[in-house]
Amino acid sequence: MNMAVNELALQKKAIKLVDRRKLWNRYKSQKSLFFMIIPCMIITFLFSYWPLTGWIMAFQNFRPNKGYLKSTFVGFEQFKFLFQDHIFWQDFRNTLVMSVLNLIFGFVFAIGFALLLNEIRSLGFKRITQTASYLPHFLSWVIVCSLISNILSTYDGTLNNLLMWLGLIDKPVLWLGEQNYFWWIVAFSNVWKEMGWNSIIYIAAMSAIDPQLYESCEIDGGNRYHKIWHITLPGIRPTIIVLLIMNIGWIMNAGFEIQYLLGRGLVMDVSETIDIFVLKYGITLGNYSLATASGMLKSVISIVLIAVTNYISGRMDEESVF
Amino acid sequence: MKMLRLVLAALLTVSMIFSVAACGGATQTPADSTAAASSAAATVEAASTAPAVEKDAETGLTPMADRSPVTFTLFIRDPGQAPSKDNPVLKKITELTGVTIDYQFLVGDLNEKIGVLLAGGDYPDIMFGADAKKFLDAGALIPVEDYINKYPNLKAHYAPFMKSMIAGFDGQHAYTVENYNAVPNKPAPIFEDGGVGFFMQKAVIQDAGNKIPKTLDEYFKMIEDYKAKYPTIDGAKTIGFEILCDGWRDFCLRNPAQHLMGAGNDGDVYVDPNTLVASLYQITDSAKAYYKKLNDEYHKGIIEAETFTENYDQYLARLSSGAVLGMFDQGWNFGNATNALKSAGKFERTYVAVPIANPGVKDNYIDPPSGTISGTGGLTVSTNCKNPDRLFAFWDWLLNREVQDYLQWGVEGKDWTKVGTVDKVLTPERREIMRDNAKKRDQTGDTLWQYTPKMQGLYDDGAPCGPGDSADEYLASQSEFDQKFLKDMNIQFPAQILSTPTQRPAYYPVWSFPLEDGSPAKVATNKIADTCRKYYPQMILADPSKYDALWDKFVKEIATDNPNGFLDEVNKQIKQRMDAAK
Repeated sequence: MNMAVNELALQKKAIKLVDRRKLWNRYKSQKSLFFMIIPCMIITFLFSYWPLTGWIMAFQNFRPNKGYLKSTFVGFEQFKFLFQDHIFWQDFRNTLVMSVLNLIFGFVFAIGFALLLNEIRSLGFKRITQTASYLPHFLSWVIVCSLISNILSTYDGTLNNLLMWLGLIDKPVLWLGEQNYFWWIVAFSNVWKEMGWNSIIYIAAMSAIDPQLYESCEIDGGNRYHKIWHITLPGIRPTIIVLLIMNIGWIMNAGFEIQYLLGRGLVMDVSETIDIFVLKYGITLGNYSLATASGMLKSVISIVLIAVTNYISGRMDEESVF
Repeated sequence: MKMLRLVLAALLTVSMIFSVAACGGATQTPADSTAAASSAAATVEAASTAPAVEKDAETGLTPMADRSPVTFTLFIRDPGQAPSKDNPVLKKITELTGVTIDYQFLVGDLNEKIGVLLAGGDYPDIMFGADAKKFLDAGALIPVEDYINKYPNLKAHYAPFMKSMIAGFDGQHAYTVENYNAVPNKPAPIFEDGGVGFFMQKAVIQDAGNKIPKTLDEYFKMIEDYKAKYPTIDGAKTIGFEILCDGWRDFCLRNPAQHLMGAGNDGDVYVDPNTLVASLYQITDSAKAYYKKLNDEYHKGIIEAETFTENYDQYLARLSSGAVLGMFDQGWNFGNATNALKSAGKFERTYVAVPIANPGVKDNYIDPPSGTISGTGGLTVSTNCKNPDRLFAFWDWLLNREVQDYLQWGVEGKDWTKVGTVDKVLTPERREIMRDNAKKRDQTGDTLWQYTPKMQGLYDDGAPCGPGDSADEYLASQSEFDQKFLKDMNIQFPAQILSTPTQRPAYYPVWSFPLEDGSPAKVATNKIADTCRKYYPQMILADPSKYDALWDKFVKEIATDNPNGFLDEVNKQIKQRMDAAK
């Protein structure tokens, strides 16, 4: 009995050794690949990991002339300032809400648009539409915000003129001055600017779906809607989930430019994001430590969010990024 | 159609940004080499023909002894464009001195740029107006007092200010070379209010029988009357009063109350003229009454709600249309609109500052030439500057009267002619050049003059230092409409509509005080300004019955912004400055 156990242990050890040898041989045979990856690792280290040493600023009262080594350490003082400031929490809320709105609208519109484009039979029209729809992606927010504020202007603004002409309102609405509208304006501006661009990847995924599936659906008596629902959407499901996980990592970044450019005193309570808070109370005041602290906080929250979503989707669907 | 124009404008902006960026990147090396070549040529010529005292034939200027080529980089805190490398005046200066200035105007956000400069330690040789306190804290600046005292022109020019310059930061060394406000000689008369004020269209004043409003009630009454009489101007709907609220330019919204109380522009505080103690004007009864008045005017339709959401470009577009009757602003902030109105020939739609103050209070808008400086503004020299001696020698040379005349006025006969015994006027051709910003930049020495130590005002013999200081030139350059307007108003210059300026105390102005980065005082100013920019528009748009409640809420919120942390620091610095000036 005892001997059997021993033998088993020996055998296991031998297998392990063989395994290790095999692994080593594999490494050796892929030597050139390892060499090729070294520059990438150096770059990743330099640009993604080395800057993290700057996080030390978050625990200091950092002054540029003193550097990391001589600045005084203040522990969690900067984080305390963040957590105790009601403006920070308000900006935190704004960031989350606008991000979630952007995420939902971004996904729904991009997927919807991709589905519609996919159904178009005329190739020429499809191409023109697709090109026209992703062109706004290349405009900077400065230009887009200028357009938006002209369109929403009460002074000969397109939207107000249209609504007045239709008789829906009897006097121009100050769209950019009402707190209730701001988040929606941001969400729809994002949709307008990014919908076409974001749909490209879905259109690509759709083109990879096997046409035989559509044919068999047709044979089974499915109409267009059935085809969309039972074939196209499930076909791009992996793409949707991967993009969702990646985008959730960005949820603490609701954007900066649009809120900065369209935000005015009247809507300040709903327009300011964490990035604007950092600019106002960190960079402009020369308080780099505070800026670092809130950047760190954002990164930590983002990592947690990604890990959680990844886990959930992995459990549900076996579709995960890592 | 409007859309199309917008898109075109957008495209044009984009292409311009690209071309500017491209120019900035590409021109550096050829410039250096041409400068080097031309000055090398000059050196050879000088060496072969005569000693260094030989005067330049074209300009009559004496070259510097050391003309070996040297280039200084100069960072400027504002966006702008560097002069063309073919600029004849700058080429001549380089030929005579060996010095080339590499102008680096701001691209993007100033604080961001400063942050990048500080983080990288890659400072330009000279910086203009770039938050000297931050660079000083980073150990990036060299003390300048010894260099200034070494050169006779600089020494004489800055002697009256040296005390303030040393008191500016740490009380031990001077770090800034003030180029704009250091005027040791007699100042020129003030022609126009280029600074802060309530502005009104000249047409409104004319229409009311050349009446000048003195109080808010009179001011808005005139605007109301004019708007009722002319509901549209050139086809556009007449706008009574504009309040710019875009970003940091929202001083148009936040600052007026201090001026109604009879103060100059101290920024975020009101300083009692007798006790010199600072307090917040934002929460005074004057402020309450002012925003209540705006609330009334909003409900009367004089103010459009749009004004609270429009951006700076839209604001300028409105003013340029000629349909805006009045606004509170600072002259330089809407200079582009004024130029647009002038070039469209709508001189009656340009603006003039009027003396609005609380009843019984004397207006105090115009800053007199103070004879004092803050000691914190101007040019700073960084530790990266390899040859500060050459730089200060160059600045010293520039301060020669002949050089100053050449930079500002140009060459006699070609650019200007003499009037009377000492005064000068520009030739019509040169005046055209001075009116066109691009031509002024590329054909005159203006850029160099702006960002170096300079002479302003009047020389001891009464001669104006530059066209901007000359009464004859001011009058000669006015349009027919403006000449008649001044005659009808029975004044010589528009600034005479406002009260004669009174001397400001030595600390003035508070907005120039350096506040330490991240200090409670600095956080407090940010918060106070934010509270104001949030509440004031709400109050103006509010239902009149809810105004008082909103005001009380506002005052309470200001109290939570740590106003005393800010005021204590300001009061401390006022005292320091007053003591230093004794």
